Amino acid sequence: MNRILGALGRAPAWGPPLVVLVAMLVAIEVMRPGSLSMSRLQIEASEAMTLIFIAAGQTIVVLRGGIDLSVGGTLSLATAIAATRTETATFAELLPWLVVILVIGVLIGVINGALVSGLQLQPFVLTLATWSIVSGIALVILPINQSSVPPAWFEAGNATVLDLVPVPILLLLLLLGWWAWFRRTRGAFRIRAAGSDERGAFLNRVSLTRTNLAAYAMSGFFAALAGLFFASQTGSGSPVVGTQFVLPSIAAVVIGGTSLAGGRGGILGTVIGALILNQIADVIFLVGLSSYWQQVASGLILVGVVLLAPLLAVAAERTRRTMPGPA
Amino acid sequence: MDDAPQLQAEAITKRFGGIVALDQMHFAAAAGEVHAILGENGAGKSTFIGILAGAVRADEGRVTVGGRPYLPLSPVDAAAAGIATVLQELSLIPDLTVAENVWFGSEDLTPLRTVDRRRIEARTRALFSDLGLPGIDPGTPLRSLSLGQRQLVEIAKALSSNARILILDEATSALLPAQVDWLLRTARARADAGALVLYISHRLAEVRRIADRVTVLRNGQTVGTEAMADLADGEIVSMMLGRRLVSLYPARVATATDRIALQVDAFTVAPRLHDVDFALHEGEILGVAGLEGHGQREMFLGLFGAIRAHGQVSIGGRPVTIRSPRHAMSAGIGMVLLPEDRRQQGLLLTKTVRENLVLSALGKVARFGVIDPRAEAAMVERGMQRTQVKADTPEQLAGTLSGGNQQKVVLAKLLETGARILLFYDPTRGVDVGTKAEMFTMMRDLAANGYAILFYSTDLAELANVADRTLVLSYGSVSSVLAGADVTEDRILAATMAGGARGAVVPAGSIA
Repeated sequence: MNRILGALGRAPAWGPPLVVLVAMLVAIEVMRPGSLSMSRLQIEASEAMTLIFIAAGQTIVVLRGGIDLSVGGTLSLATAIAATRTETATFAELLPWLVVILVIGVLIGVINGALVSGLQLQPFVLTLATWSIVSGIALVILPINQSSVPPAWFEAGNATVLDLVPVPILLLLLLLGWWAWFRRTRGAFRIRAAGSDERGAFLNRVSLTRTNLAAYAMSGFFAALAGLFFASQTGSGSPVVGTQFVLPSIAAVVIGGTSLAGGRGGILGTVIGALILNQIADVIFLVGLSSYWQQVASGLILVGVVLLAPLLAVAAERTRRTMPGPA
Repeated sequence: MDDAPQLQAEAITKRFGGIVALDQMHFAAAAGEVHAILGENGAGKSTFIGILAGAVRADEGRVTVGGRPYLPLSPVDAAAAGIATVLQELSLIPDLTVAENVWFGSEDLTPLRTVDRRRIEARTRALFSDLGLPGIDPGTPLRSLSLGQRQLVEIAKALSSNARILILDEATSALLPAQVDWLLRTARARADAGALVLYISHRLAEVRRIADRVTVLRNGQTVGTEAMADLADGEIVSMMLGRRLVSLYPARVATATDRIALQVDAFTVAPRLHDVDFALHEGEILGVAGLEGHGQREMFLGLFGAIRAHGQVSIGGRPVTIRSPRHAMSAGIGMVLLPEDRRQQGLLLTKTVRENLVLSALGKVARFGVIDPRAEAAMVERGMQRTQVKADTPEQLAGTLSGGNQQKVVLAKLLETGARILLFYDPTRGVDVGTKAEMFTMMRDLAANGYAILFYSTDLAELANVADRTLVLSYGSVSSVLAGADVTEDRILAATMAGGARGAVVPAGSIA
């Protein structure tokens, strides 16, 4: 048992959550045979993609040692613009709007990063403020609770590329491919270094400002992308929808094994964390509990994973070759 | 040695708020020499190093490197000017691997512009074997290395750049003797090859072995630069301290009584400490010596109840089982631990001296759960006086005090609990010579007042001059008990070797 725990602790940060996710999928398959079919998994992935995107951006900010609450506002704003400004019929006409909305997301991120660095504000407080401001702008643009987006959005989001890969799966693969590359770049090392130890990073010639700008810009980009995806899946925009994704985005990051202290973790873990959160509803339903229990279960899993991580680290330390001397 | 200065600093002034850290300081050193910079904490050494490393900007003055003006705005400029620094507080990133740390910012890239892990690990292996530094796997995450190993990595990183100016700031603080020898040899080789090595250390013996010349700073000013061979240790110390020259060690007056304060039998902390027996008397300072990793840490933490231990412990003749640090500090036991790392263990840097002092004895100054300001003020005054804390007011933030004064606040706080058995675990690490002298005097005073003191130090000279008796730990057991001046580096090393029969424990990170 200790050997197994030790091996898990030495595995990458996404190891333990992957075990949890697989266990959940197996449990679902046992309770409802046929659940692990390809089409079913595609549906699951599509459902989870909005959370996956917003949490992917959150991961990068957390690796930098910050936190980005404004992603909720950015997501809402993206759907609000999609619902009110993109009165076009064809996909080709949508493309410029895609770019515009993503650029707006990046700009919001750049403003966050500049203010965090320039004013030396706590990221939590600053992004709480920008969350409020951006949400307000979303309400100004779309002053009703919900509005449909032009059908072209829906078609784009549910297309199958080359009659082979559905758009959500394609996006997920693109995200994971991008991350597999980006995590090994100097830029990612600098972001992690700055998140791990700002003083050490500075002495290693890392610009604390530029890493902040990059991390929050990516977070803004992914939040806007999450908004676009949400609009394309539901066919609607809403100036308030982002709020319900803010806390889950952080939960997915933590469940995925990324340290809130910065420097450690990655998007692969976050994707697994988001899928876990997404599966909870299914498990609750299959067990026969009311769906109100979903949030209780999410909380318990969050606490469980956070408690498990240090235990695994200790087990890994024990199985490592014994080294005397003060640690 | 080339006579034109490779590094020259003139009239450097740096203020932090109202405090003048450097005051018209000047400095010159030539290529090919090892130049030591000495001074008490607060003398301005760190600020000067910070300016050279590009981490701090001077307010006034000018620096030239190789005759050309040098005005670093950031560490980027320092690297460009050929200056590499090993900092006391390491600049490594715990979440990256050894190789990623060594080559940070100059990594080899694959065609996809990602960091080429295999290549940097191979280069790290080559670097380590060039430097004669085996035993550290380049792929290990830095956080799983011991402090000493991290220090070696930081040194290797600085050496990797073949810098014109190599700055070693307390680079040996966590190294084993063999590793210190290695560093001194390597630094000398770099100087012989034409580099300028700046060597900063609190350990005078090391400085004497390596330095050609020495510059002494005091209160932000340069006292003087002399050839090392021309100065006796006493002269160096008096240059550092100015006119208030005191002997570093107080006279050793035997104050030990025959009343046993702490009796320990068959004390074991698996797997690093076995069957240790000793008796600590009231009024006695009992030294503990040993190379890093030979069980002293386990002994102190085990006695203090911080880690699980086995064996018989008696306090004042009464058998006790100490369950936790809280239990150890309680009235029935009366034992406190003064740790080596003030920041991590014991001091709240962002709180005032007053708040720190009363923290562990709040019950004594409170009535019905509310703090009585008069009782509090009395306790604070008594505490600051007892350990001679140098602070402007009790409202000064602990973080703004010098290292030695922080240590005194911690001690004052611990004494407030009424403890009579004091465990001092390497209390002088990183403490300057003046404060050390005050601490030793204070320890002798405490002993004279009947306190029983167990004192571990990595500096054997301190044990030889302060402790009444010294236990030498070797591979987890007591290999000998030496009295007073019999405690020498040679004797302890010999005692350590003698105890080496037990094969279970191997000292960490030794240089083959």
